[in-house]
Amino acid sequence: MSEEKEVHNPIKIDPEVCVKCNLCDWICPGDLIYKKEDDRTTLPEVKYPDECWYCGLCQSICPVDAIKIIFPEEMINCKTDVRSLLGKDVE
Amino acid sequence: MSWTELETDVLVIGGGVAGCMAAIPALEEGLQVTILEKGKVLDHCGSVGCGVDHYLTIMDSGPEWDTPEFLIKHVPELTDGIVDLEVTSKLIHQMPRVLKKIESFGVNFKDPRFNDYYRLKSFGLPGTYHINFDGTEFKKHIGQQVRKLKGKVLTRTMGINLLEKDNKVYGAVAFNFRSGEWYAIKAKSIVMAAGEVNRLSKNASGMPFDSWHCPFNTGDAHRMAFNAGAILTNMEFVETTLTPKGFSAQGLNALVSEGAHFVNKQGERFMFKYDEKGENARRAVIADAVINEYLLGNGPIYADCRHLPSDVLDHMEATLQIDRYTMPAFYEQKALKFRDEPVEVSISELSIRRSGVYFRGSGLAVDTQGHSSKENLFAAGDCASVSGGIAGAAVLGHISGEGVSAHVKKLNGAKLPDFDSEEINRIKNENEHHLVASGMNWRAFEDKTREVVSDYIGVRRSSKSLELAMQTLSALAANELEMKADDLHGLMRVNETKSIRLSAEVMANAAMARTESRTGSSHFRSDFPETNEKDWKKFVLVSKEKDRMKINFSDASDSLASTFNRGS
Ligand SMILES: Cc1cc2nc3c(=O)[nH]c(=O)nc-3n(C[C@H](O)[C@H](O)[C@H](O)COP(=O)(O)OP(=O)(O)OC[C@H]3O[C@@H](n4cnc5c(N)ncnc54)[C@H](O)[C@@H]3O)c2cc1C
Ligand code: SF4
Ligand code: SF4
Repeated sequence: MSEEKEVHNPIKIDPEVCVKCNLCDWICPGDLIYKKEDDRTTLPEVKYPDECWYCGLCQSICPVDAIKIIFPEEMINCKTDVRSLLGKDVE
Repeated sequence: MSWTELETDVLVIGGGVAGCMAAIPALEEGLQVTILEKGKVLDHCGSVGCGVDHYLTIMDSGPEWDTPEFLIKHVPELTDGIVDLEVTSKLIHQMPRVLKKIESFGVNFKDPRFNDYYRLKSFGLPGTYHINFDGTEFKKHIGQQVRKLKGKVLTRTMGINLLEKDNKVYGAVAFNFRSGEWYAIKAKSIVMAAGEVNRLSKNASGMPFDSWHCPFNTGDAHRMAFNAGAILTNMEFVETTLTPKGFSAQGLNALVSEGAHFVNKQGERFMFKYDEKGENARRAVIADAVINEYLLGNGPIYADCRHLPSDVLDHMEATLQIDRYTMPAFYEQKALKFRDEPVEVSISELSIRRSGVYFRGSGLAVDTQGHSSKENLFAAGDCASVSGGIAGAAVLGHISGEGVSAHVKKLNGAKLPDFDSEEINRIKNENEHHLVASGMNWRAFEDKTREVVSDYIGVRRSSKSLELAMQTLSALAANELEMKADDLHGLMRVNETKSIRLSAEVMANAAMARTESRTGSSHFRSDFPETNEKDWKKFVLVSKEKDRMKINFSDASDSLASTFNRGS
């Protein structure tokens, strides 16, 4: 089910701007960003995009502002009926 | 699997606010301290790695309300009478001292606009106890202090099991989810500081990691301690908050303390119907009022700031990102201007933390030293029975750090037991198996848990719904060993998922036991809708006895410690 849906990428890394410093990989509290250590040629990769907290730590730490947070449609345009979160009546 | 065996005086599980603050006094006493932390950078890990904006404290600044005695007098009403007053009193008394200590690490609590403390009143507290400050570097200074004192930190390392012998805890098993290194660690004492239980129920976006609290705190301390036989308490109470719909994030405190109104779809400002303090009521009361309005069909509910003077709006706008860095980006991408239009709000997912009230923590029952019901096992922060945001975590953390130091010194070099190789092999095999198992993926397993919690244990409960929840959750447990992890990162998630499920099961059992309702939607039993002051001024205590969940009760006028029996 969820495997078929295309996974939204929570952060956009500008490959032209990124200086491949690894800070975003080190800082992400969810262990989502993977970047080869001591290698100034490879870009960071968001390996587990659906586990993002949207905390922005990666963006805040990036020394060159290469990261932008992109909220998915489910968050920006949330259509959920809040009552569906309030439990079922079981009597 | 490569294995490393280590030994330390004090092992701290979780390097957030409480864990670091516990490590500091132990290091100052010259003890060897090892911290296990899932994050890679101590200065930024945990709930507040990205910043905080309010700190609850007594400052003894002159007025009566700013004294420990005054706040302590109000604690019973703040907690609806279910609170460990002995531990809370100690915590409140220690607040000024710990504040000064944190300032000495370099944290600046003053507002640069007036070069003074800017204190605000919020969440029903009887005084202006919150310092509103730019806490972007709060955690950084605390982490730096740990490093300065040469605390050893194993990063990207998850604690998964405690080791115990003769009713005493003597170590833990952990693994590094990047390198695959496994650790068996012996310690004279252990401080649990792994935070609260999140990813527990459904939210508006339907994305489990979009959560108000840190989605990487998943009740690991609760699970490890429970399995080792420690008593958990207040586990029946859930916590929820209001969030901008679609983004489960902080921000309510800032809005409320600066004067936002909540209105329903008819434009009615309804909070005064529920509490004479209106929008300044306790978080649990605000959440409960909004839940009620939604159930009455009065939704959508909005937070309205349009009546506020422009300097207040300016300040709100300028500080929006401090508590949640990405909040301005959310409003921007949503093209929503909170100055000019009301913001639609939702109820967040649920956490097991402190049910929206200060000082009534859900987790390991502790005494005035931070010592749990289990010998050599301490706790602090959002996994302990007394908590209250960063200040609660910092102060109880510090108390536990002093408590554990005194305890370790008293042990006077007593020899630790040999590693139980059978138990360690069992843990090892269980985890290795997840990497090749063909059962349910951890995501599906967790989704199932969340569905059960939302539908049957959430903000409306009855004995029927709880019965259903308990059945489903124990059926899920039967599949736990076959849960599938694709890689080491997934193995971390598998272990988190186990903690979430177990916490939900403990919650269902505790909620079933409390046959009354208390603190609004924190514990609302539709079959017992009234608060029963006569019979229910009690703690519900959950522990494991002979592999079963055992429920006990204790009088809330006595300390939790009076129920401890560490010797037997
Ligand atoms: C974005 C945000 C803003 C907040 N703002 C405020 C505020 O302004 N004021 C306020 O009073 N409170 C605030 N809070 C609440 C406050 O952060 C928490 O109450 C406080 O951090 C609790 O401290 P703790 O040490 O228990 O948990 P944390 O500080 O979250 O630390 C727990 C640590 O344990 C680690 N961990 C978890 N499981 C394991 C495991 N199995 N093995 C190893 N490590 C593990 C985690 O990685 C984490 O670093 C905020 C929370 C969030 C999420
Ligand atoms: S922190 Fe920024 S510059 Fe460094 S690797 Fe990440 S994206 Fe690139
Ligand atoms: S926003 Fe937070 S959780 Fe998401 S990738 Fe960045 S640091 Fe990780």
